[in-house]
This record gives sequence, structure tokens and C-alpha cells, in this order.
Amino acid sequence: MRETWIVGAATNRFGRMAESAREAAARVALAAIDRAGLAPQDIDHTFVSNAFGMAEHQGHLGPLLNTALGIPEVPSCTIESACSSSSAGLHEAFVHVAGGFADAVLVVGAEKLSHLDTVTATGYFATGADFPFEARNGATFPGLYATLASAYRRVFPLPDETLAAVAIKNHANAALNPHAHFQKEISLETYLNSPIVASPFRLYDCCPFSDGASAVVVAAKEFLRRPPTTPLVVAASVRTGSIVDMHDRTDLLGLPASRRAGELAFRAAGLTPKEIDFLEVHDCFTLAELLALEDLGFYPRGAAGAATREGETARKGRLPVNPSGGLKAKGHPVSATGVAQVVEVFEQMNGTAGARAVPRSETALTHNVGATGGSCSVHIFRRG
Amino acid sequence: MTAPEGHSIADYLKGYTDLGRLRGFACGCGFRTATWVLACPRCGSRDLTDVDLSGRGTIVACSVQHVPSDEFLNEAPYAYVVVELAEGGRITGWVAGVADPADLPLGAAVHFHPGYKPGVQFVQD
Ligand SMILES: [Zn+2]
Repeated sequence: MRETWIVGAATNRFGRMAESAREAAARVALAAIDRAGLAPQDIDHTFVSNAFGMAEHQGHLGPLLNTALGIPEVPSCTIESACSSSSAGLHEAFVHVAGGFADAVLVVGAEKLSHLDTVTATGYFATGADFPFEARNGATFPGLYATLASAYRRVFPLPDETLAAVAIKNHANAALNPHAHFQKEISLETYLNSPIVASPFRLYDCCPFSDGASAVVVAAKEFLRRPPTTPLVVAASVRTGSIVDMHDRTDLLGLPASRRAGELAFRAAGLTPKEIDFLEVHDCFTLAELLALEDLGFYPRGAAGAATREGETARKGRLPVNPSGGLKAKGHPVSATGVAQVVEVFEQMNGTAGARAVPRSETALTHNVGATGGSCSVHIFRRG
Repeated sequence: MTAPEGHSIADYLKGYTDLGRLRGFACGCGFRTATWVLACPRCGSRDLTDVDLSGRGTIVACSVQHVPSDEFLNEAPYAYVVVELAEGGRITGWVAGVADPADLPLGAAVHFHPGYKPGVQFVQD
């Protein structure tokens, strides 16, 4: 296997895009290629994700993107894995480069949903679950994670103030991130006064519907002599799957796909959770961040909530979690999210994260879940 | 070994919307589900039995929905539930008219209320 690097990264401001996902994807792709010190002509393959492209009546985004970049002959394909689409694309890029099938690969994720009303957007999100056996029975995306909260609450303490601590922390981080959807801190009072969406989740437990686009360039070490930025070594790139339907899983106290992905990634990287300096995890809902920390082995079951309330996962804490603001506050443009997590790792390791810089950034882990855990990606990075 | 001649997803939907029965699959390993499969997701066996599900069970997970998708616009607030069936296996559905989660605690006994649309509706015993 060849040593594989992330050599360039770029994102736009998440929130509401005036332009289409297609235009935003091309803009961030070019910015990531420029930052890598490469030209579009160096790209051997493009993986693009745009899970809800049909909301813009556009499929087959890859060749449109490559054409806009002046490289129409470069092969491409669309990778769809719900909310973990672009981290699945990153895994494919890793496989291509590490396996010697490509020297440089472009990975892009883009999404635009802001032109839809809430009910229609909620319907799009529910398509990541099992439509006839979950969504058709009344499940919404928040509702599915909320049922996990009800099961968790039966076994471990999960007061509202614990869920609030995740939201307050991630909003504080996003307030320092110029690319975040929400750039404002929230108080416990604001959290508690927000309306219930799917009990026990309030509005401030939920990630927003965001537009956005993010891109990274993956390249073989031997392909680049002197990249203009510090490259990230991809120490592990792991994908896992599990039963989609929550009711068919034996354990509702976490996501089996996350657990397995964490184990495999630490084994591949030859590292342990103690050796990871900071994380970007899939916090589509506040509870999801706690489950991720436990599933990935950073905390024992039931212990992540108390650690969060004690500040361990704050930006300057022992283990900074979601310094970008996470899906919760940076925003969750579904197909952009997986790559956006890696953009944050890139900025932190390159010393360009500004006011939200974490104390140590030699190693990092990203964790990206497809819908309610039918698919999962875990990547581990170390400074090159 | 060929795939079993089980019911289709359309059969499943017609079962609860028109015929008033819940169809499912049972495996020799003990796994039982309403979800459409050709092999057991737990043990991989293709030796599945096409079964009627009792529709009687208890709530194992629940969330009251206030922001529904379009099919449930007229139903909110309601409870989305995961039900552990009396004979084993789990299924999802919803319970009408629940605004406070305390009104439908985990462990509450429910049964399938056939014929109502949309989705699989349960009512508390
Ligand atoms: Zn079985």
C-alpha cells in the first residue's frame, strides 16, 4: 500500500447558498486543487457526492464538475451513502491512491436544500432510513435518533442539561468558525426554551438543514515532492455497514457500525484512542456525539455525558471534540459533511484554524455516519 | 438453494392497509422481523418462514413527533414507537394523540390497529 496524503482542502460557508450545488462543488474543488499546488490536469479521478441532487433535478454531477474544471475526459462517479456520502468518496479515493490505481484524486461533496420547505426537506432526510418499514410508519430523521435517546435514558442518566452541554459547546466552537452555518453562542436558557422537535430533542439538539460544499485532494506521497501545505497522512480509512432498521438491531445503546469502524481504524493506524489529539464526530443530534465518543472507545458506555459537562471535550479540554462546531452548529449539508470534517482537520494541522485552534494537532480522527448508522466511515490522520 | 417464496413489500403494505394483518419473516435462529429480506440479517440463513405477526407487544423505544413529514402532517403530535412483539422480534409504528412522552412509557403494552392509514398504527392496551 502506498502512503496516501490529503494535500489540499477547501470549503465554502455553510448555510444558505444562492448558487446551485453544481456551481459550489466546482468552486471548492478548484480551491482545494489550488491549495495543493496542483492543476486540475493532475487529477486522475473524481468522486463526487450530492445525495439530494434530485432536489435540484440534477444527477450525474461528476462529468459536469470535471467539465467545469476543464478536465472533461477525467473519469468520475457519484458516491451516495446518505450523510456519510463524501467520506465514502474519500475512502474510494484512498483505495485508488493507496492501491496504485491513481496518483491524485478529487473528492467533493455538495448539497442544496434551502429552496425546499421544512416538510419537504424532512421527507428527503427520511429517505436515508428504511422508507416502507420506518419512515412510512411515522419516523423522521430526528425521530429515529430520538428513539435511541429513549432507550439510552432507560439505562444511563441523560438529563436535558447533558444534551444541552453538547449543543452549547458546539455552538461556542462554531462561533469562531467563519465557515459555520451558525456563528453564535447559545445559553442553557436558549436551549431549554427551544421547541420540542422529537422528544426528548429540542430544536437546539438538531443539526440544521444547510447548503454547502467541501473538497479535498488525495495524493500518493511519491507523487508530490513538496506540497505547499503540510499534508495529512491518511493513517486509516475504514468503512462499515450494519442493519439499517433500528428495530432489527439487538442493541440500541449505540451504533454497531461506529463501534466496528472504530476498532478497525485503530487497528489499521496502530494507534489507541489515548493517542488521538482531537476529533470531528457525527453529531447530527446532540445524543449522536455522546454515542460516537462511547462507540469509538473514547469513553465507557454511559460516561461521555458527564465528561462533556465537565468540559473535557471543549476546544481547550483534554479531548477537543468538533472544534469546527460539528454538524450541530457548523451545519450539515448532507453530502458535504464527511469531507468538511477532513477540511477542519486540515486547517487545524496546518495552523490555519485561527481562534478555534486546538492545543495539540499531531493526530486526529473523523467519524461520519450514514443516516442512523447503516453505514459509517472512520478516518485517522497524522501530520505528514 | 434458491431464494424463498416470501411475501413482497407490496404484500406487506397491502397486509396492514387492506387485509388487517402484519406479515413478517421468521428464522430458525430466533430472528423475527417485519423488514423485507431474502436471508436472515443475523445468521445468513435463507430458510425463512413467511409468518403473520401478532401485532401485540410492548414499547421498547419511543419519541413524540412534533415536526412530521408530509404523510403525517395531520397526525402530529404523535408517538413513533419501536414495539417488541409478544412472539419475539420488533416492528415500528406510531400511536396517535400522544403529546407527552410520559403518557406512553417504555414497557407500555400496545396492539396493532388495522386499517388505518398511513403506516402501522398501534393503540395502547
Ligand atoms: Zn437467522
